[in-house]
Amino acid sequence: MIRIKGLSFRYSGGVKNALSDISLDIGKGDFLGIIGASGAGKSTLTYAINGVVPHYIRGDFYGEVVVSGLDTVKAGPETLARHVGSVLQDIDGQMVSSVVEDELLFGLENFGVPHGEIESRIEESLAAAGISELRSRDIGTLSGGQKQKVAIAAIMALRPEIIVLDEPTGELDPQSSRRVFETLRSLNEENGVTIVVVEQKIMLLCEFAGRLAVMSGGKLISEGRVKDVLMDADKLEGAGVNIPRVATLARLLRKKGLYSGDTPADLRQAEAMMREVLSDAAV
Amino acid sequence: MKGFFGYNPGNSILHRLNPLTKIVISIGLCLSCFLTRSHIVILAVIAFNLLLSASAVGLKRSLKMLLSLVKFSAVLFVVQVFFVKQGNVLLRLPPGVIYITDKGVLFSLLFALRLIAAAMPLSAMLSVTRISDISNVFVRSLRIPYKYAFVITTAIRFIPLFSEEMTNIMEAQTARGVQFDTKNFLKKIRLLLPLCVPLLISSVRKIEGGAISAELRGFNLRKRTSGYKTYPFGWSDAAALAVCGLIVALTVFV
Ligand SMILES: Nc1ncnc2c1ncn2[C@@H]1O[C@H](COP(=O)(O)OP(=O)(O)OP(=O)(O)O)[C@@H](O)[C@H]1O
Ligand SMILES: [Mg+2]
Repeated sequence: MIRIKGLSFRYSGGVKNALSDISLDIGKGDFLGIIGASGAGKSTLTYAINGVVPHYIRGDFYGEVVVSGLDTVKAGPETLARHVGSVLQDIDGQMVSSVVEDELLFGLENFGVPHGEIESRIEESLAAAGISELRSRDIGTLSGGQKQKVAIAAIMALRPEIIVLDEPTGELDPQSSRRVFETLRSLNEENGVTIVVVEQKIMLLCEFAGRLAVMSGGKLISEGRVKDVLMDADKLEGAGVNIPRVATLARLLRKKGLYSGDTPADLRQAEAMMREVLSDAAV
Repeated sequence: MKGFFGYNPGNSILHRLNPLTKIVISIGLCLSCFLTRSHIVILAVIAFNLLLSASAVGLKRSLKMLLSLVKFSAVLFVVQVFFVKQGNVLLRLPPGVIYITDKGVLFSLLFALRLIAAAMPLSAMLSVTRISDISNVFVRSLRIPYKYAFVITTAIRFIPLFSEEMTNIMEAQTARGVQFDTKNFLKKIRLLLPLCVPLLISSVRKIEGGAISAELRGFNLRKRTSGYKTYPFGWSDAAALAVCGLIVALTVFV
């Protein structure tokens, strides 16, 4: 679905490569999380996938990125946009309308979706994002989590095969963050959409993502199934990623055969896990 | 500001009129108060405007809007009234050179009333019409290129975002011990000036992000007929335009 081969990129005016020699394959239906310290090149990597780089932001581009069979350098960004939907890092800046419904209409109108189909697409994607009741609200009056869902719904309405999101929970509280990821999960599982999401909250990625890519200083230093990537604690520590202790604990308990549930995502769930393990041990 | 320009959701007759009709009517009502020199007629137009606005967004909100306009034009009245020197002196202030004349009062009153009567229909129009509908109808019916309409609606949309950004930056500076609540105006300007740079940078970033997001959603593919919403011209539009035409005609002849 997405094949990145030997990709390096330097912003024009930049002193060093924002991405250096990245190779990564993302399969159809994958749910990939990208994590790494600030400035690691996460946003730039998403730009390489949706064609922002090198079409809208210029620089030295080496290597090859193929998305849905299209070479991103040769295919126009508009052609690419029919396959990849993007939610950018700055949530307020990327809205183009003042009313929720118009935000969804914008892309639908531009891509020439038949007018008879538009109404059902709007209803469907609002419902899928769980924000049907916000349809005629003023975007300026929405909370951060609601805005985030509007951005996701606006992309979903275009029915891309791939959705790329850059820190969609950046300004959200833990609860809204979870809800955004639950929306992504249902898109991934029910509609088979390939999800690529940059996220700092490792607990969320542990719970929702299938695969994890760790970036540091423009390099991809680790990539694979979430549990495999979490094994190499030193490498992650070096990349400025903190492995959650509960995740380490859950992994240990699982290895010892004492626990078989989900990795706890917060302290309350961690407590529940420990209670379960301890009560089992007492029997 | 938000109260004056903001859209007020609703489903009144005015809300449902064609956006173009509403624009023509509000311009017509604006003009009508410049076509007459009679205070009474302008007062009547103001009353009509108030009625119109109340029917769409409620009396309370309409009165609030009227009150803020009255305050604003009261200030202008006071400034203006000292500048007209013709006519009979009504009041002379102590030093002797500053005085108020009857002509001055009448002229300034006319000026203030006109200001109120001209601003009301515009504000009312904006409170019952979405900016997006205005821009859509401009593109569709008046064949304004979408790019220009988009730039203007974006600019309007960014105003509250900028002020929010400014508040954020000021709060960050306040946390670092800068005291913005000084009474000294010059000092305040001196404190605020350096904030323009970060504001500008973050604004440019926001706009850049907006442009990229728009292009990723097919901005360049858009054609004049891409718009989904249509704005039919109905009987109620014709009736509203006729009423408006009548009022303009009345102000000319009365
Ligand atoms: N437009 C630009 N021009 C020049 N250099 C840039 C530009 N955008 C990013 N960079 C540089 O490229 C590198 C990678 O930036 P990128 O935005 O991809 O990082 P990131 O991992 O997304 O960080 P964050 O977590 O802060 O969003 C950084 O060193 C950054 O300074
Ligand atoms: Mg980033």
